[in-house]
Amino acid sequence: MAEEVHLGLPGPWAADYREKADHYTTKIGGVPDWPTGDMGIKPEMLQCSLCGTKLCLVAQVYAPVVKLNIEERIIYVLVCPTPECGPKPQSWKVLRVQKCRNVEQTEGDGDELGQGTGPPSTSVPEEQIDKNKSHDINDDDFDLDALAEALEQAATLASNSKKKNKSKCANAPIERPVLKEKPADLSIPVLPCFYIYYDKEQYRVKVAVGSSSNEFPLDKEMTDTGNYEEEKWDGEKYEYDKAIGADRTFLKFKKRLDAYPEQCFRYSYGGKPLLAATKVQDAGTCRFCGSPRQYELQLMSPLLYFLHEAGKGSSNYGPSNWTWLTLIVYTCSKSCCPSSCGGRPCGCCWGVAEEEITIQEDEAV
Amino acid sequence: MADRGGERGGERGGERGGFGRGFGRGGRGDRGGRRGGRRGGRQQEEEKWVPVTKLGRLVREGKIHKIEEIYLHSLPVKEHQIIELLVPGLKDEVMKITPVQKQTRAGQRTRFKAFVVVGDCDGHVGLGVKCAKEVATAIRGAIILAKLSVVPVRRGYWGNKIGQPHTVPCKVTGKCGSVTVRMVPAPRGSGIVAARVPKKVLQFAGIEDVFTSSRGSTKTLGNFVKATFDCLMKTYGFLTPEFWDETRYVKTPFQEFTDLLAKPTKGLVIEAPVETVEA
Repeated sequence: MAEEVHLGLPGPWAADYREKADHYTTKIGGVPDWPTGDMGIKPEMLQCSLCGTKLCLVAQVYAPVVKLNIEERIIYVLVCPTPECGPKPQSWKVLRVQKCRNVEQTEGDGDELGQGTGPPSTSVPEEQIDKNKSHDINDDDFDLDALAEALEQAATLASNSKKKNKSKCANAPIERPVLKEKPADLSIPVLPCFYIYYDKEQYRVKVAVGSSSNEFPLDKEMTDTGNYEEEKWDGEKYEYDKAIGADRTFLKFKKRLDAYPEQCFRYSYGGKPLLAATKVQDAGTCRFCGSPRQYELQLMSPLLYFLHEAGKGSSNYGPSNWTWLTLIVYTCSKSCCPSSCGGRPCGCCWGVAEEEITIQEDEAV
Repeated sequence: MADRGGERGGERGGERGGFGRGFGRGGRGDRGGRRGGRRGGRQQEEEKWVPVTKLGRLVREGKIHKIEEIYLHSLPVKEHQIIELLVPGLKDEVMKITPVQKQTRAGQRTRFKAFVVVGDCDGHVGLGVKCAKEVATAIRGAIILAKLSVVPVRRGYWGNKIGQPHTVPCKVTGKCGSVTVRMVPAPRGSGIVAARVPKKVLQFAGIEDVFTSSRGSTKTLGNFVKATFDCLMKTYGFLTPEFWDETRYVKTPFQEFTDLLAKPTKGLVIEAPVETVEA
């Protein structure tokens, strides 16, 4: 089972939590970067199903699928920011945004973007900037309007951040220079934002032979304790790990977490999730095409810890009441195109699909 | 595009110097260096520990000061770093490493089983057992399991209540497999009257004087040690007249430190902590 797992490790904090990136960036918190200004997302998809509040972004993961030749694919994990709704599973939503491609364009773009696909295995965030550049240069369908507005945003970003800092409250109306798109909705709550860089998990493969090299420095431990001839520790058999407060599954979960204690999420398309508890809910089937859902990524507790640390001091902060150990995201195994363009050769419309998310809670709380 | 890329790179570069909230301890090099497999020496674990459970987060923040607050509410401890922080004087000792064998088609497969006892010699003791293919892994794993199983030990007096408690408060008995161990209060100065193996556990627990009596196949020393530990766990389970008073219930740490009920819910907007930009 040589499944590669990519870990999302924390990178630098965003200078401003509401700063915009592009949809190729993987980040935690902040404002969701939709690929186009007008996504046509129904408003109820962005609202909490329990209380109707606008959802805020927890994680935005750029997740192309190399095997199916899909480059334009992003997963957004959203949650209701009210403290009461946070712990309940119905207030979490996962959206998969994917560009539907028709047949002619797939071959053309697939070769050019071939080298840049997949979560980058190197760890420097500048790599993401380079990837952004290579995408923009290679992509024939690039939207010049988007480029113009992005440059305008960048130019006004510095002046905007200073203006925002003067006003303490996030929902006070702020004078902003006119942008092409609608002004950012300041009533959308925002979680603290930081960027992610990727790394492959190097889990140590178990050694087949009982290693002799490690025994020598510890041989004396064995002889010291075995000095007394009357004592023979007979009849010992293999014993599974047992602790008073934690079961075997959790101990294995914690062991892999301790290898990379800062991992914010684990990504493995079609792989097996790292469970924290044995009870697993059924993922169900995709709403659009009916194919079964499979595991794609899971958010881990260190992410919660970082958000919690960043939000200390603000009242009514959602993540302070979250108690989950891990959030597992299941997506359509065929990664079907969710838009309703009927197969016309358009190649430019983005589809949004809602996927399944299950929470594994810390049951002690 | 170049503008935007440069700007973002500049902002990130500025942030890289001082991370502040939460990432302050590790720079970029640190994370990069750790990529290549297991790290060599032990790192300062209090600094690098990222808690996984809610209880871990409360302990990390310093909201829980003594481990007794956790024992009072019988909260399960799932992270060994919690114990390391709350019980600072813990010492550990490897009691035994035995090979255990399993017959396979290709011969015998040997693994090592390590027994480790941890304790602060003052009322807290833990026992960990781990099997692994390498001795070092078994010892490391057993230390972690031992820390996870740290329990309080109740001590009392044999007769006059002068000085500090020195022996078990009453006769208690523990069982594991066929081995039963019975501990009987002893007068001051008797010392621990027990076999060599359980004596170590009792020393780590902080019991100064006790008479023990065991029954069953004590040759299986694994069971013997576990029976002694089970006996120590039961010292606080024994109801004595001191506990006859009505319990005054105290809020669990989760209820005490939640923001949900404390603050009145006003607006539904999160105030994003705003950065001060130096001009």
